[in-house]
Amino acid sequence: MEPYVGGDAAVEALERALAHAKGAEEAEAFLTVRSGEYTRFAGERIHQAQDIVERQLMVRVVVGGRTARAATSRIEDPGAAVRTALALAEGGAGGGRPASHRVAAASPYPELDLWHADVEAWDAAARSRDAAHAMREAAAAGGRAYGMFGRAVTELAVATTAGVRAYAAATEASGALTVKAGGGSSYWCDLGRSAPALGVREAVERTVAEAARSREPVELPDGVQDVVLGPLAAGELLHFFGAFGFTGAAAAAGVGAVARTPGARMAAPSITVADDALADVGLPFPFDIEGVPKRRVDFLTEGRVGEAVTDLATAARLGTPSTGHAHIAREESPAAIPANLVLAPGTTPQDELVAGVERGVYVQRFWYTRVVDPQESTITGVSRDGCFLIENGRITRPVAGKRFTESVFGLLSRVDAVGDRVATQALMNVWNGAATAPALRVRGFRFGPRP
Amino acid sequence: MTHEWGSAHDDETARALCETALGAASGPGVGYADVRLVECEETRLYGRRGGERDERAELNLGVGVRVLLDGVWGFAAAPLGDEADIRAVAARAVAGARAAAWASDERITLPPRPPASGRHATEAAIDPFSHTGRHDLLDRALAAAGAPEKVVSAEVGLNAKRQHRHFADSEGSRQHQHLVESGATVMVFAADEHDVQRRSYPNSFHGNTAGAGWEYVESLRLVEEAARVGEEAVALLTAPPAPSGTGDLVIGPAQMALQIHESCGHALELDRILGDESNFAGASFITPDALGTLRYGSPAVNVTADPTVPGTRGSFAWDDEGTPAGRRELIREGVVVDFLSSRDSAARLGLTPVGAARADGWAYPPVCFATNVFLEPGSGSLEELLDRLGDGYYVDDNRSWSIDERRWNFQFGTEVAYEVRRGRRGRLLKNFSYGGVTPRFWGSVEAVAGPVEFRAFGMPCGKGEPKQWGFLGHGASPTLVRDVRIGVA
Repeated sequence: MEPYVGGDAAVEALERALAHAKGAEEAEAFLTVRSGEYTRFAGERIHQAQDIVERQLMVRVVVGGRTARAATSRIEDPGAAVRTALALAEGGAGGGRPASHRVAAASPYPELDLWHADVEAWDAAARSRDAAHAMREAAAAGGRAYGMFGRAVTELAVATTAGVRAYAAATEASGALTVKAGGGSSYWCDLGRSAPALGVREAVERTVAEAARSREPVELPDGVQDVVLGPLAAGELLHFFGAFGFTGAAAAAGVGAVARTPGARMAAPSITVADDALADVGLPFPFDIEGVPKRRVDFLTEGRVGEAVTDLATAARLGTPSTGHAHIAREESPAAIPANLVLAPGTTPQDELVAGVERGVYVQRFWYTRVVDPQESTITGVSRDGCFLIENGRITRPVAGKRFTESVFGLLSRVDAVGDRVATQALMNVWNGAATAPALRVRGFRFGPRP
Repeated sequence: MTHEWGSAHDDETARALCETALGAASGPGVGYADVRLVECEETRLYGRRGGERDERAELNLGVGVRVLLDGVWGFAAAPLGDEADIRAVAARAVAGARAAAWASDERITLPPRPPASGRHATEAAIDPFSHTGRHDLLDRALAAAGAPEKVVSAEVGLNAKRQHRHFADSEGSRQHQHLVESGATVMVFAADEHDVQRRSYPNSFHGNTAGAGWEYVESLRLVEEAARVGEEAVALLTAPPAPSGTGDLVIGPAQMALQIHESCGHALELDRILGDESNFAGASFITPDALGTLRYGSPAVNVTADPTVPGTRGSFAWDDEGTPAGRRELIREGVVVDFLSSRDSAARLGLTPVGAARADGWAYPPVCFATNVFLEPGSGSLEELLDRLGDGYYVDDNRSWSIDERRWNFQFGTEVAYEVRRGRRGRLLKNFSYGGVTPRFWGSVEAVAGPVEFRAFGMPCGKGEPKQWGFLGHGASPTLVRDVRIGVA
């Protein structure tokens, strides 16, 4: 498995782009490439065997203080994109404030362990074998398996007229599995830079067994229960830190936790959350699309509010250096966002988390969670898949999914123990985005509507 | 407007490339192949009050090849360089299917389909790519939205997209669609020391994008409406909170579009019903045997899929596996009569495909997505519907949404709610939410306002692994629903 474009060709394409930007005061260009293979299966077949390469070269120019971008998939001809960007910048003169941020200058980047040769072996044939194994095991247990096993290479190159020349390539392996049996179900997902680290065969065994135990779940009544949130449920809570004010845009607008409650205790002392692109979990990466080195940004340190992620534009507004979190999402304006969220693990094994609950619920994961009130950090969603009653410190009967509406900071402030093992899930609509968390024991979680 | 832009406007050149792909997507066991060659250009201009403009243009051109080998699918895609790239993509699609075939016990046989060929173009009066004046419009809308004192953030966006979508398959279909979109978004946040409130126009979550030229944006009266939502965001700060309990509602078209999307559109996707999306997008409470038997709603509920209706992101002449578009009833007088299906999913149930196989550009395989899925209008005006409501609430513009994976239990919030007393709109209320169970909600629909009140919206959506975007159309007239659980969040 090799990078689709490669470092030399990527940087050369960007240099050709910058060479066309002579009319600009400043210019930056980046190239993202993702070559991914995805084996999707459902029931008794692999229904979507996919092999997809996507790439985009985007250039940003500053002309007369105005900025504009243009992108192309045709890296052989970056000149056309540059000419488009120059024309847009020149045509846009008179609109908006002059560009307050410049392009990045060369900086040293952190050395990270991005390339795992073991991903090579997890090719289409190997993934098909794993899919067949999962479908067979589920069928043997009287259930059906649905899932996706995939691998990818992600490349990012950046060049600026201020001297940045950066390139990195990273492997990625991901797996997700849903097993349904008798009205119950269980789910597993994980992703990272290494394929064997996923432990796919063990995950299949575990998920099939949990699904078999989850048959004929009982309804959960409305009310407040102590819960153990599994690593995937806990990780879902991290998805919302951007919406709760841990971004440069929110901080600059004076809204959200960083702007309004800096240093305040919003979670239990056992809770430390960071956006940490340098971590050895999730999807680490050394720099962002502006060529700025990524650094760890502490959101909650022992429960207290820390700082926000920034890009060059929001850092300029806040008068701080960029933290290296520039991002451009599809059909959205550019914005600094978290990309490798990590909730620090504790020391409590999962059995002990459960043993500490006399009567409560184990929640494997949440589904379709959405922000209801960012001020109160309130989200709504449903619990689902391998959820079980906890009785006298032991997991007993399966329970059906249930809607909840809860404050994330409220939940995190009621955590009294943190698990020792983590799982990683992808961040939706975030390039190279991941959230990693351990299980959490929470005293008081309301199922059903708010009173 | 001109169609002659980019590299893929010429049918002869594009078809030659497609023939190369089809020629390479062959070999032992390959029973079917199709190729999509798509060139897409987008332009976006965003501005924040007091901030810089961000303007960008994006062009991408690529090819996606799908093969059915011994009844198992393989798909590959890559940006387009030269003919060698195309042959390589086709070879990878075949190799992927071959690797998957031995692991698959279930095989698909597609019923043969007569070829359908031709050209189709979005009707667009004003070319959004040559139109000038966007910066001026953005400046004026931003100034209007941000004028009230307590507005802390105002963002305005203007966007346009054009695509050459070429399709060819091994059964002889050759199609070229030139699709054009134009859109706008306004989002305003107001804040005081206690609260933050949001208002949006012409819809929340990415605004609205129409399958039309720039005349759509000009029709929006963006400056006047930006001023209105700015003032409403501030008014919401001091508005009383909406109550909890049970209430009768008239739900406006924008919120109804979201309601249809989440609790009709997704629920009726046949690939979900058959389990294909169980691991990611989810399944459905609807079962394959529901046709003609499942009561989904009251007799006032008639839902159709019709991509031939122009003007939204769900408008087209052929879906992304070449099935001709046509009007199909999905729910007739409250009873499910059809699904949103692709060739694969329809073949598994022995049905005729609806033509709802859709893919995001060239890089993803087609999956079942809504097209133009509309709640058919009833009769009368909004004012007449409010009269019929009597006492209750008029709510619109989505603030938050969540629904379970079977599309059964939902909870939505709206940006605005107005108290209605004896058919008259009264106080503005904030933080309105409602929830329910899908068939119970639709069963409580008493009436739908007439065609004059109908509004359609283009909406983005996600599905598939890796996730791809779907661009859909949903529309409705204001709808009267009784006995809804409110104040749930």
